[in-house]
Amino acid sequence: MANYLENIRPKISITQYRIALRVLIETFKGIKQAGIVNIFIIGTMAAILMIFGAIFRTSMSLSSLVNELGNVLEVSVYLKSSADPNQAAEQARQLSHVKRVKIIAKENSWENMRKDMQLPNIKNPLPDTLHVRVDSQKNIKSVADNLSKQSYVEDIRYAKDISEKIRVISDISHTATVIVLGIVGFLTMFIINNTIQLVIQSRKKEIEIMRLMGVSNWFIRLPYILQGSLYGMMATIIAIIPLSFLQGYIMQVHRFLGIPNSENSYWAMIFLLFVLSMIFGALGSLLSIKNKLKT
Amino acid sequence: MINLRGVNKKYRNTYALKNVNLDIQKGEFVFLVGSSGAGKSTLMKLLYREELPTSGNVYVSGVDVSKLPDNKVPYLRRNMGIIFQDYKLLEKQTIYDNVAFVIRALGVSSREVDNRVKSALKIVNLAHKMKSKPNELSGGEQQRVGIARAIVNGPSLLIADEPTGNLDPQTSLEIMEILDKINSRGITVLISTHDHAMVNHFRKRVITLEAGQVIKDVQAGTYG
Repeated sequence: MANYLENIRPKISITQYRIALRVLIETFKGIKQAGIVNIFIIGTMAAILMIFGAIFRTSMSLSSLVNELGNVLEVSVYLKSSADPNQAAEQARQLSHVKRVKIIAKENSWENMRKDMQLPNIKNPLPDTLHVRVDSQKNIKSVADNLSKQSYVEDIRYAKDISEKIRVISDISHTATVIVLGIVGFLTMFIINNTIQLVIQSRKKEIEIMRLMGVSNWFIRLPYILQGSLYGMMATIIAIIPLSFLQGYIMQVHRFLGIPNSENSYWAMIFLLFVLSMIFGALGSLLSIKNKLKT
Repeated sequence: MINLRGVNKKYRNTYALKNVNLDIQKGEFVFLVGSSGAGKSTLMKLLYREELPTSGNVYVSGVDVSKLPDNKVPYLRRNMGIIFQDYKLLEKQTIYDNVAFVIRALGVSSREVDNRVKSALKIVNLAHKMKSKPNELSGGEQQRVGIARAIVNGPSLLIADEPTGNLDPQTSLEIMEILDKINSRGITVLISTHDHAMVNHFRKRVITLEAGQVIKDVQAGTYG
């Protein structure tokens, strides 16, 4: 017995495989033991994950909408009559967040206007104009402010209100996603933690015997951790069903608005749901069992 | 096999064990006796690291278990068999599974589990009841299952805390005879008890504890 620390240490071999198999058996035993409670846990978690998934997916869709609209929005810069359009365009291109600058010569503008409005042949009253496209919707205001300070600018116009509203909606949806993510994490861990505590309570004697007979703490912990993870996984599978309907609806809206379809966002959401629910589930279990186990 | 050196165990202001020095050799059969609260259970818990001494050293097979890192404690316990007064059996499992489930958790193969469980149940004369549930057995039989579970992993030390505390004299005698039989196979056996008749019947080494101190240590001793 003198070298028991060396002798008893299991070799990495078929023994480890058997232990892993036993951990799985114990995991399913725990799930079986929870009985009808399983349905409540998985159902509740599925509902929570569905709400999170819906908000997350909508937020991603809004982001692509915002980007699309942001690309359409541009600043119209009306130049002073003394300004050289090419020079002004060159200077505008040097400003940060400016993606593209297009010169609209006053002759062209006037010709178009005369045709559209059937105006008589009078002196051209229009100024030369620059159409300045910004790299991102959120930078429109700062670019417009910058342009208005330039010496060659007479006046500027852009859809200030729309831009502002889009930015606010986008910010709100992002914030909501983060808040809901926090709530989801907390609720998932809370539900799993309480459930696993109940399971642990019902298997208290078993745990004590295993501990006193030399079963390692990880062997005792792992089935509970896996159980929490499995709850997360099963809840995600259920949550995906209504979320796939939402995805179909979002695709229709995208097609209607001419926004590129975002199939990747859907798969990203599913992946995120699986990862988060399984991690939070495992953490909830780990917290329960850790407190119950001393050496 | 077991060496205690200047061991003290204090709970708040009360000493459960006070300056205990003790040596138990491999293969010995030892009764640890004393009235309730004398420190018997505390001493046993120190051996399987369920408790830590306040001061002093507890050696099991030359290793100071009080300094053993937490992650090594399971390895210490795998070399011991522990028997409890309240048997600690799983009511919903069969006798076979009760004995098997710990060695299964240790990754022992099914065939080996089967061999070991049957052999352990044979030693305690319960091979014919392996499919029964604990509540179908008498107290003595349940304790025999506890013994089978304790020896199934081939320990070199068997620790029994009041194993006959809940049993009648005749059944207690049967349990002690089984433990004696196990001892004859070279396994060190340490039994805590306050059963005078049993101790006097077997005439083994008797260590008497009183108020946490060893007051008597006699080979082929008696109690009371």
